[in-house]
Amino acid sequence: MRRTLLVARRVLVQLVRDRRLLGLSLVAPLVIVYFLKLFLDTMPPGFDVARYAVPVAAFLVHFLAFLLSAVVLVQERTAGTLERMFINGYRRQEIIGGYLLGYLGLATLQAVVALTEVLLLFQLRYDAATLLTLFVVISLLAVASVMLGIFISTFARHEGQVFPFVPLITVPSAFLSGMLVDPHQLPAWADWLGRAFPLRYANNVIQEMIRPGGALSDAWPNLLALAAYIVVLLGLASRTMREVE
Amino acid sequence: MTAVEVTGLTKRYGGTEALRGVDLAVPEGCLFGLLGPNGAGKSTLIRTLVGALRPTDGRVRVLGLEPLKQRWELRRQIGYMPQSPALYEDLSARDNVLFFGGAHGRDGLAERAAEVLALTDLAGRAGDPVHTFSGGMKNRVSLAAALVHRPRVLFLDEPTAGVDPYLRVRFWDLFRRLASEGVTIFISTHLMDEAMLCDRVAILRAGRVIADAPPGSLLERGRAHLTVREDGRVEEADIGGRPEDLAEALRRYGLRPGVEAVRLRPDTLEDVVLSLIEQEADR
Repeated sequence: MRRTLLVARRVLVQLVRDRRLLGLSLVAPLVIVYFLKLFLDTMPPGFDVARYAVPVAAFLVHFLAFLLSAVVLVQERTAGTLERMFINGYRRQEIIGGYLLGYLGLATLQAVVALTEVLLLFQLRYDAATLLTLFVVISLLAVASVMLGIFISTFARHEGQVFPFVPLITVPSAFLSGMLVDPHQLPAWADWLGRAFPLRYANNVIQEMIRPGGALSDAWPNLLALAAYIVVLLGLASRTMREVE
Repeated sequence: MTAVEVTGLTKRYGGTEALRGVDLAVPEGCLFGLLGPNGAGKSTLIRTLVGALRPTDGRVRVLGLEPLKQRWELRRQIGYMPQSPALYEDLSARDNVLFFGGAHGRDGLAERAAEVLALTDLAGRAGDPVHTFSGGMKNRVSLAAALVHRPRVLFLDEPTAGVDPYLRVRFWDLFRRLASEGVTIFISTHLMDEAMLCDRVAILRAGRVIADAPPGSLLERGRAHLTVREDGRVEEADIGGRPEDLAEALRRYGLRPGVEAVRLRPDTLEDVVLSLIEQEADR
């Protein structure tokens, strides 16, 4: 645990020192949510804006956490610092755990910023339990996204090779997760494919919590599915992060 | 005790054979130099010894431990400085040393970090981010990070690349002092003057050790060019590099009064290494 905390501390110190990255990571969701507001304002009266706006906040956190962790892990590999960590006695689980804790800090900040802006701009009102659940599900989604980033980073030899994975993961994720359309309207195979993306489970929880009369008691199977997804990705990420070539 | 023991080590990357049956034995407390041209397999050998690469074949032991199966036990006792600095550029020199050293969980880390940063002449810049450093300074941070946990065996992959001559001398003083304290130092280098400072050197060519001896005895494998001027006449001869060869060559002159000058130009270590590499290439 001590070494996990050392990795997390190092990741956080790097994030704080890189003011430009930190600033952009927080400003980007703000700007994108504002553009979403401009877009949704053109919809006819009575249009259910919450159904789209709240999942977009989750999607932004998912996208940024995935991209950042994948790129940084590839940088660790190309710079030789990952190998050096292993040779100094850091273990795989400690490195993954440290990254998770470090980026969870940033993802939490992003979740607070994006959710607060969505609630304020779209004048949405939820009770404390719903807000807490939304916050928890976005944080879990961020954990899954960091794992996905670590897993994907093993298939890239340099930072440039990460970028083709970004649309491959995030675009189908947006289309097939239910964020834009009800997945039951999709062909059966696309509906099934959508289950491969963590945003699907997060979106299911979000839609359940924000619909009138929605309750956590109906959302928990998807929360559990998201947790199971994290466990599976943790296994995959630690198997593919190679200590020895 | 043997600090590093390698028998029949082979490492293949796809169709390329980077190491082709390497045999080595380095005693504890030895300052061991690994010489060889680019692509000879020096970094591959060091990375195999520290457990970053899986050997294709052969046996490797460091401090009697198998670098892969017993890696956690071994990693507490070795220090590794890779060829590229492998540092976090956003972090300060001190934070880098504390982070890599912190993995070992030893007491007094902050004091020890200050000590190694002073040893590498970085005390005045310890708090500055590494991205503001020159290549040589990054190498110094990298060396400090490899030393901080007081390893028993230190693997250094071209540690003086980009380091100025003044600091290079100080590095080698430090290496010699560490070796005299019992630390085994396994160092790869291109520089022959550095090789002369080692207790023993091995020459690696195309993945094979072609010589393994103290630098003095390697020199004796070279030739020397003898010039003698006697009564205004100049005689020249190529003789062996051993002291006995020189005595034999001079014997016939007997230092007669007519011998006005004697000049001996022995092969340098570089000449010997190049000739060994050429001989190996001709085989």
